[in-house]
Amino acid sequence: MTRILIAGCTLAAMVGLLAWRLLPNPLPADWEPAQRALIQSLSLSGLPATPVDPSNAVAESELAAQFGHRLYFDQRLSGNGEVACANCHKPQNYFTDNRTLALGTETGFRHTPSLVGLAYSPWFYWDGRKDSQWAQALAPIEAGHEHNLDRLQVVRLITEDPLYKSQYEKLFQPLPALPAAPRSASPLGDELLRRNWEFLGSDLQLDINQVFANIGKTLAAYQRKIKPGRSRFDDYADSLAESSAVMPGSLLSKDELAGLALFIDQAQCISCHNGPLFTNFEFHNTGVLAIAGQLPPMGRYDGIRLARQDEFNCLGNYSDAEPSQCTELRFAKDDNELVGAHKTPTLRNVTETAPYMHGGQIADLESVMEHYNEAPTSMLSHNEAKPLALRPVQLKQLEAFMATLTAPLQTEQKWLKPPDG
Amino acid sequence: MTPPTLRILLTGLFLWLPATNGWSQSATFSLTTSQGSALEIFSQLDPLAINTIHSWELVLHTADGAPLSGARMSIVGGMPDHNHGLPTSPVVTGEITPGRYLLEGVRFHMPGRWLLMFDVISDQGSESAALEFRL
Repeated sequence: MTRILIAGCTLAAMVGLLAWRLLPNPLPADWEPAQRALIQSLSLSGLPATPVDPSNAVAESELAAQFGHRLYFDQRLSGNGEVACANCHKPQNYFTDNRTLALGTETGFRHTPSLVGLAYSPWFYWDGRKDSQWAQALAPIEAGHEHNLDRLQVVRLITEDPLYKSQYEKLFQPLPALPAAPRSASPLGDELLRRNWEFLGSDLQLDINQVFANIGKTLAAYQRKIKPGRSRFDDYADSLAESSAVMPGSLLSKDELAGLALFIDQAQCISCHNGPLFTNFEFHNTGVLAIAGQLPPMGRYDGIRLARQDEFNCLGNYSDAEPSQCTELRFAKDDNELVGAHKTPTLRNVTETAPYMHGGQIADLESVMEHYNEAPTSMLSHNEAKPLALRPVQLKQLEAFMATLTAPLQTEQKWLKPPDG
Repeated sequence: MTPPTLRILLTGLFLWLPATNGWSQSATFSLTTSQGSALEIFSQLDPLAINTIHSWELVLHTADGAPLSGARMSIVGGMPDHNHGLPTSPVVTGEITPGRYLLEGVRFHMPGRWLLMFDVISDQGSESAALEFRL
């Protein structure tokens, strides 16, 4: 009798555990008004026009975008002649590279972020150390492990290529006359580059910096065209204008809808992944492990300091903005909350952009869900996220919802491949 | 919770009570400070929404209705439920007309409950008010 009782209890416990892990909660028939409003707030239909960039006078120029497009795919923009922007930000991979860490002339220190919809962000890089798309575009060119070129060689390339020279001078002022030597120079880089830079003198330094900045502005004009396309989720969100019914099986499956309900409520994903781009472009510490072989990074805490010091920032000599227009930089936060904080990425097309996090530390979405469910203690400062206590079936539902955000880009095909000729 | 913080919370009079079922909210708020001054807030972003940096105009009147000019104001805030502050550091950058101040650099980055503290120092001393709202 006792044996039967024990066996019965064990069986009931096992069935209960399996049910807890695997059985979904029932879906409601209708969304609550607050839920409906939150879902609608995520629709791409609510995405405003691309924000203006007052620091970039050619941001909306078609000619600048064409010029930037050509530069984006040009491997001559590197020290070894093999690295273009498109090497890491591959159009066919939603402008990522599917690698853990970026590979330029050498393996880098961060995971390649997607460029899709990035023109809506006030800050660039995982730590926000650049405050415009054009200023961001300049840094990899001179980074030793990325393009490994220098600004004087960039200006030489523009000057010596007839098409570039012609396009440049249509957009900007005439190119400066360059001395035959030195060939390479930059205030960054090794001692030789820096010595050559000093040799050029301040007038020529200013001219070279201006051309270099203008090159960044054309690259930004091109990248502003990279926008997400409408996905199944957007059609569903827009259908809620007519009805608050949850409607499983119509546009989204039961699991996807359950994942959506978790996303906006219990899982709190929407706290940071909000708005039509599923990101607030802000900086958060979510307790992600340090990148293998690296110390835990200070993140935005250092990033805002670097942005303020950047000669190419919105308040700098090469910006086209009035100082009063540089609101993000002028009123940027700077305190200990930012230690270890990294920028929230978009979730649009997230199923196609593995691995995840600033160092590509998490290989797949299943592991991402487990990470947020656990909310481990941060190695540096504190993890803003709290443990979610979601059941395995709910983590699967969240993952299922992610798949509803994938769609072809809205960008014209001609921008997604190298220019003709 | 420190006594001054408690005092601010208790004395901040919320004349505007948020609806909880919307995404973006009214862009106008009316408060009474701890000294009985009126603080009216007009957001230049209307309706108020997340992820857009913008300015607010803050209008101060004494308890007897006179514009409160020459005040120094500071604003801090955040999301009590998330234990974090504002994503920016808003600053009062000038007095547009007597008693009307420009607060620049306002941005909110999450839906949910926000709490802002306004500290005012003027000829009539120090006073404070709290604003709570949902986005």
